[in-house]
Amino acid sequence: MKNRLEDIRRDRGIKQEELALALEVSRQTISSLENGRYNPSILLAFKIARFFDTSIEDIFIYEEDVQ
Amino acid sequence: MKKTMPYVTTVAGAALLVFGLVGIKTFGDVQGFMAALPYICIGLGCGALGGGVGEIANRRVLESNPETARRMEIEKNDERNLSIANRAKGRAFDVMIPLFGALMLSFALMGIGMIPILMLVAAYLFVCGCGVYYRIRYEREM
Repeated sequence: MKNRLEDIRRDRGIKQEELALALEVSRQTISSLENGRYNPSILLAFKIARFFDTSIEDIFIYEEDVQ
Repeated sequence: MKKTMPYVTTVAGAALLVFGLVGIKTFGDVQGFMAALPYICIGLGCGALGGGVGEIANRRVLESNPETARRMEIEKNDERNLSIANRAKGRAFDVMIPLFGALMLSFALMGIGMIPILMLVAAYLFVCGCGVYYRIRYEREM
């Protein structure tokens, strides 16, 4: 699953550390999400979407052929 | 209860340690289990005392640094960290099962007594039973 988390975060001028603290996850989790190494739980995906005041689909891109 | 636990552990550890040290001096020439008891008490006492003192010191430090405490709490509950820990445990379990089997077979071929082999088989079956139990439980929960 691809995501636009890094782009959205940079657009808003938020550091990984700040986002991690706001979402109550580790900075490594944010880094792994941005690199596509880790797919978040649905709860974390909702938290991220709510934090950026957008929808999950705007951040995370589901690719059927990858599955 | 949770707040007083480290103090209880520390006091119990200190008591065990003192009991063990006194036991070495006073037990004289006893045989069997009683001869080993003071040393077991010293070992357990040192462990409990060290763990208790460590926990008390940890709490004191975290109380004076709420920001560090929050970060530690986040690291502890971080879903990626939990996922990594669970996957690692799963892998270790997968390795342990055939390893136990090989060990039982080796012990049997080496002609080691019946009791140790049966204990190993019991431990093996218990671990497998735990695996089945949690699988059924999670099947119902999820």
